[in-house]
Amino acid sequence: MPTSSPRGRSGRTPAARNRRPGAAARARVRRSLRGSAPLRLRTGFVFIALVMSFFGARLVQLQGIEPEKYATLAASTGGTVTVELPATRGKILDRNGRALADSVAARMVVADPVQTRRKAPDLARFLARRLHVDYFTTLRALTQQDSRFAYIARRVPASLAVRVVNAATDAGYRGLATRNDPLRIYPDHDVAANLVGFMGTDGPLAGLELTFNKQLQGRDGSETYEVGAGNRIPLGHSTVTPAVNGTDLHTTIDEDLQWYTQRVLRQTVLGARGDSGFAVVMDRRSGEILALADYPTYDASNPQAAPAKDRNSLAMTSPYEPGSVEKVLTLSGLIDAGKVTDRTRLLVPGQLRSGDRVIHDWFPHGTIRLTLAGVIAQSSNIGTAKSSRLYPPGQLRKYLTGFGLGQRTDIGVNGETPGLLPSRAQWNGMLQDRIAFGQSVSVNGVQMAAAVNTIANGGVRVDPSLIEGRATTNLGQVVGTDEATSHRVVSQNAAHQMTQMMERVVDPDVGVAPSAQVPGYVVAGKTGTAQRVGPTCGCYNGQFTVSFAGFAPADDPRFTVYVVVQNPRNGGGGGTVAGPAFSKIMSFALRRYGVPPTGAEPSHIPTTW
Amino acid sequence: MSSTAPALRARVPRLAGAALERARLTVVPKRTRRRTSPVPFLLVISMLAVGGIVGLLLFNTSMQQASFAVTDLQRQADALQAQRQSLQMQLDKLRDPQSIALKAQRMGMVLPDSPAVLDLRTGKVLGDPVPATRLDPLRLLAPPPTKPAELDPPAHVTVVHPPATRHDAGNSTGDTTGDTTGDTGRRSHDHSGRAGRNDHTSHTSNTGHSH
Repeated sequence: MPTSSPRGRSGRTPAARNRRPGAAARARVRRSLRGSAPLRLRTGFVFIALVMSFFGARLVQLQGIEPEKYATLAASTGGTVTVELPATRGKILDRNGRALADSVAARMVVADPVQTRRKAPDLARFLARRLHVDYFTTLRALTQQDSRFAYIARRVPASLAVRVVNAATDAGYRGLATRNDPLRIYPDHDVAANLVGFMGTDGPLAGLELTFNKQLQGRDGSETYEVGAGNRIPLGHSTVTPAVNGTDLHTTIDEDLQWYTQRVLRQTVLGARGDSGFAVVMDRRSGEILALADYPTYDASNPQAAPAKDRNSLAMTSPYEPGSVEKVLTLSGLIDAGKVTDRTRLLVPGQLRSGDRVIHDWFPHGTIRLTLAGVIAQSSNIGTAKSSRLYPPGQLRKYLTGFGLGQRTDIGVNGETPGLLPSRAQWNGMLQDRIAFGQSVSVNGVQMAAAVNTIANGGVRVDPSLIEGRATTNLGQVVGTDEATSHRVVSQNAAHQMTQMMERVVDPDVGVAPSAQVPGYVVAGKTGTAQRVGPTCGCYNGQFTVSFAGFAPADDPRFTVYVVVQNPRNGGGGGTVAGPAFSKIMSFALRRYGVPPTGAEPSHIPTTW
Repeated sequence: MSSTAPALRARVPRLAGAALERARLTVVPKRTRRRTSPVPFLLVISMLAVGGIVGLLLFNTSMQQASFAVTDLQRQADALQAQRQSLQMQLDKLRDPQSIALKAQRMGMVLPDSPAVLDLRTGKVLGDPVPATRLDPLRLLAPPPTKPAELDPPAHVTVVHPPATRHDAGNSTGDTTGDTTGDTGRRSHDHSGRAGRNDHTSHTSNTGHSH
């Protein structure tokens, strides 16, 4: 087909042409000015081809030969702009929603030395005055060689930064700009600083800021769009990756109570000339930690000013021997096991042999007649060790494990120590004698507070918590009040008897800590004065850990407060150093939460016989 | 199609030839087309075109205006946001328990020693209310940082024995400052401890105490 038809057509075309002249002539008559149709068509095509070839040549030039030049030209004239959409870091809040750590929009002021060099001295003076930066540092930044970028000031509140840069531009200085640079603020400075932690230049460095960084930080977004004359071009090309803001972290801390606890603690530690100290305030029912104060502490807004060792929570990270407060756990377990009651009569000798050692009491005495309540009220080591021998093997350890010793509380504090509860294999009679009154066992502060709180809570241990609701740490551990569980450790009756015995501790006549009383309320508590294990030798170094743990109102406890002071040099014990601090903190907490006195009378169970 | 078209053309010239072609051309009634004026059509088209262009221009202008407004409002929102945050910072500063406590203490307020609760139903006072006192106030400020040893050389104290009456007066002021820091039981310790850093001062305070 294709081969035959051209031949046939070519044979006929001359004839067709011969026949056309008539029509063509008529057309020529009518449209002589415009030329014949094929001519016009051809001219048109040539014209279009010409234009198209220009376009093509330009396209090759733009895309093939010098694409970068035009891209940079476009970018430099502000064709498209990419702005960072910063994610706002989540706040760290106290239980009433007040910020312990907050993020505010701030800007960094940067300079282009190439543009600023000429008027550098004047501009430096201007900036030094308005931004409170150092004149010489600024001058050096403004005159830098071989650089088109220099920091002038960082983390300046946005309103101030923009105002200053605008004023500089109005005054005829060129080359200043601001960029996004979010600022983390700690409005209360040292309040809960040891827990909250702080931020470095690039990220969190300590505390909850670090532990919950994944949750807090969020994810930055960005937006690219075309601009003309400083305005966004409508319908212009734009892409947006929205920022995902960080999630707030709700803690159970009560800002005001935390502040007061920290002040009382500081006064107590300084007054006793101790090394350090901590105090825990715990809600009896929920196990929520309302205050966890550490001394020494630091200002989270200015962490560099304090040595690194002051910046973590010693209460959580530094294990110590609890001393006599432990007796509460030992003896309530023993009551629960049915071996003794609060009125059990004991003959307490002046000293007690335990293997190759001898146990003494803190006060010299001959053989005295104490009831079990008297053993607690007078804090007798010998009485406690002697009665703890009634435990069948392994049972004391089981009770102590039930109270939470030797296991992390997992409240969300980094580097928490689990303490040290000797293993079943290490356990022997001598060790048990010492553990009974709080030696050879070490704990962290919240662990011990939660253990004493078990007695306040009628024998049911509630997991302590620092995070309201639920939060996931960077390591993937879920912590918080929603995760807190509770379990019974001793019977309600045993807890009640122990409470009655602990009420005798603050009795001015028979107890050792009358200064721990809270006027108007019945208080139950226990002192602790433990020898301290030195950091290097692993032996008792002659220093002491003094403490007081207690709860009030004793007949319907609302709070458990635990105060510990390390190495007091004023010769004070748990009753005289930590007792008054306990009283102040407890009094403040009861007043703050409007807990009325119950009107109950403190117990009068006999301490001697 | 390609097979039928040449066949048709091959047949048609033989039958009619040029006559057919001429007849075709004359059939088109040019008069009727000339009768309708092109003006309305052109008018409609040009109106459409002009209307379109003007509409587009107006639309574009309004978009630009909206864009200006957006930029402007965004800037305003940013400024207000920054202002809100700085006010929030001020508020936080004012609400800081430390600054409240400092102000309260400056006004002469003290913390009560004993909470008392008034039961509104019975009108009874629970607890034993005691008037608050200024004894043993809460120390709000951190102690000043200790100086390094080089900047804190031991004081050279020469002990002279002035008449007894003068000495007593000087010592009593020293004691009252010691009093405010702690309870009475701690007083003697406070003294020896504060002076403990160097022997000379402890000498003076000891002589003070021996009176």
